[in-house]
Parts: sequence; C-alpha cells; structure tokens
Amino acid sequence: MALHAGKLNREAAVPAVQVSGLSRAFAGRDVLRNIDLHIQPGEFVALLGRSGSGKSTILRILAGLDTDYQGRIRAPALPSVAFQDARLLPWATVLDNVTLGLRDGKSKDRAQELLAEVGLADRGSAWPKTLSGGEAQRVAFARALVRSPELLLMDEPFGALDALTRIRMHRLVRRLCDHYQPAVLLVTHDVDEGLLLADRVIVLENGRFIEDFEVELPRENRGRNPRFQELRSRLLTALGVEDDH
Amino acid sequence: MLLPHPVTVFEAAEKLVVNGELQEHLLVSLQRAGTGLVLGVVIGVVLAVFSGISGWGEVLVDANIQILRALPTLALVPLAIVWFGIGESAKIILVTLAVLTPVYLNVHAAIRGTDSRYLDLASTLGLSRAQIIRRIILPGALPGFFTGLRFSVTIAWLALVASEQINASSGIGYLMTQARSISATDVIMVGLIIYGILGLLSDTLVRFLERKALTWRSTLGN
Repeated sequence: MALHAGKLNREAAVPAVQVSGLSRAFAGRDVLRNIDLHIQPGEFVALLGRSGSGKSTILRILAGLDTDYQGRIRAPALPSVAFQDARLLPWATVLDNVTLGLRDGKSKDRAQELLAEVGLADRGSAWPKTLSGGEAQRVAFARALVRSPELLLMDEPFGALDALTRIRMHRLVRRLCDHYQPAVLLVTHDVDEGLLLADRVIVLENGRFIEDFEVELPRENRGRNPRFQELRSRLLTALGVEDDH
Repeated sequence: MLLPHPVTVFEAAEKLVVNGELQEHLLVSLQRAGTGLVLGVVIGVVLAVFSGISGWGEVLVDANIQILRALPTLALVPLAIVWFGIGESAKIILVTLAVLTPVYLNVHAAIRGTDSRYLDLASTLGLSRAQIIRRIILPGALPGFFTGLRFSVTIAWLALVASEQINASSGIGYLMTQARSISATDVIMVGLIIYGILGLLSDTLVRFLERKALTWRSTLGN
C-alpha cells in the first residue's frame, strides 16, 4: 500500500518490520488474506479492528507465537510484547520480573532504572499480587523496554484498566516510546486510543487492511484538534459503527 | 483390661524415658522415616519433572507410577523382606515407595497445569528450556509440591508402622509389637500417642515451610 508516503525521511531507512503476502487460516476460515505491512524504525502504528478481525493474530505471528502462517516476514527475532494482562510471574518479585528478559550482570541496575522510569522505583521487592492493575501493567512495560527492543508489540495493553488509569498510561507509553524509539505495533479496538498515540493507523476488516493512513496531527492536544473528530468518524465508519457523538 | 488408666500410660512412658528405651526407638524410627521421606520426595519430584515436561518421560514414567500407586504398601512388605532382609534398607525403601506417589502425582499435575500464558511470555523473552524450567515451571509447581508433601509426611509414618511391626528389632513399631506379646496395653498406648504427636508435628512443620516458601500467594488466610 502506498497510502503512507514516508513523510519523515523514513523512506531511506530499512523497515523494522516487513511483512508481505501474509495469510493465516483457522480451521478453513481465512483470518488474514495476503497482507502487506511495513513498519519503519521508531514508527508507532495502531492496528484497529473489531473482535475476531484477526488483529491479535498478526501480533502473535510477529511475536513468534504463531508459526503456522503463509507469507514472508522480516522482523526482529525477539520483539518485546506487552499483553492485555500484565502477565507478571506471581512468584517473582517486581524487580525479578523486569530482569527476566535480560541476562547480563548489570541487569539489576538496568531494571531498577526502568522501574524508576515507570514510577515504581520503590516497589522492586514487592510481590506482583500486591500491585494494582495499573502498577502491574507499568511493570510489564518496564520488562518490555528493559532491553531496548527494536520492535514493541502491544496487545490491548490498556484494555483491563479503568478510564483514569488508562489516560495516565497513554501518556506514560507515549513518553517511553519517544525515549526508547522502538517500532511499535499497538493492537486495539479503541479508535481514540489509536488516534491519540499512533503515527499511523490501520484498520483490519475481513482479513484485509481497509484503512491505512498517517495521523498528521501535532502530538500535543490531539484530542481537541478539529481534524481529530474527522479521522475518528472515518475510522468508526470503517469499523461499521455510526458516529453519533 | 481394654484400655489402661491414663496415669498408668503416663507411668509407662516415664519408665521408658528413664531407662532410655523410648528415645532409642524413637530416634531409629525418625531416622527411617526421615531418610525414606527425603529419598521418596526427591525421586518423586525428579520423575514428575521428567514426565511433566517431555512426552517420552510421560510414556516411560507415568504408567509405572500408576501401577505403584495401586499397590498397598503392606502388600510390598513380604517382597521387601525377601529382597532386602530385615535390615534398615527394607524399611527405608518401603517408606520411599509409599511417599513417592503423592509427591509425584501432585507435582506432575501442577507442571501439566502450567499456565500457557507464561510459556508464551517465556518464548517472547527468549528464555532457554533450562530457564523456563527453573523460573516458570518449578516455582509454579511449588503449591502442588507442598500439597503432595503433606500427604507424603503422613504416609511416611503409616508405611513405617507397617514395616516396623512386621519386620524389625527396633523402632516404635517394634516397641509396640513387643508390648503386644505381653499384653502391655500401657506401652501400646504410649506408642500410639507418639505416632499421633509425630504426625501432628510433621504436618505443622510442612505447613510452616509452605507459608515461608509461598509468601507470594495472597491467600484467604492473610
């Protein structure tokens, strides 16, 4: 798809993710049909779709958790993944959960740095069961970013959080991504979330991308930009929902 | 007399303590139960891990353990005597075989029940097989291990009583068998009380260890 001509000199860079002709069927039902997807280094892509549209399937394939697909994929071997549930090991302390993805001797310091960055510097020795939902998800982000991944995959990571926590988490994730600059694929069904956070929005429907455009709005106060409503309506229509707000 | 007066039982116990017989037999019993328990638990865990994480292990180990589980420990006593004589090893092996199954079954079930979401996580983190076992499978199976251990500790005493009453020249079971031959119900009562206390103490110890090892669980209790 040529809908997203590289605006930020990204054309020159080697894409972080190159997917071409990706297809996946479950029990004879085509979930993904011949999909092409390029994500540039540092680019934040939101993938929107209804439940069962196959958006999580793309993420699982990129994460290496589903290998039963057809097509060609070039992506970093070990992308970091943030799941909808924080997925912390309950028997390991917060700090040990963060170091789980690291193996060198300096990992404790590094993990501590990340915990400080997500505002949990003093909770390193706590058990995950004692954390709130938002705190647990922040630990999960620290674990995902501790090894400075080239690619960060997020599968509705804000889905289980309350509305207020979600707003704070949006800001945190945007800040972390600005700092660490991974290529990001955020899978979500929340149109506002996609428009607020991403550089580019894609809509998956019936196994194909039916929308794919760059969100050309300034990062600050996006929600109040008049064009935001325009894009929001466009996406909701693509998702088969009438926007009557 | 069907049951001796409590005072008589107390006096019998006092006499056995003063002449040192009780301590001597108790120590022997404790050593047998302890050795058998440690061996059985270690073997049970190793077999459970082996059969829990590999298809081959399951084929090789699981059916055999199910057969062993179906055999009453008492039924093994005659064979143990023929094979190992009346020495210490026969009694220890009986305890080992008896405690092995509850540990095996519970650890095996816990490993098979490992949450696949954690295995997905491990795969995205690039953990090696050894790391997955050490950091996810074993700690996740710990609650199951302690359930098995509590069964095992009780069963260790049962197996020991069985073998000491049939085939021993020392130990609490032997003390009681001797008493039976002269109808000394007071000494038999002392033996029963000792077994009861040992059972209670060992269960309390296991529960204490369980609380220490599983502090990460927020339970109804706290």
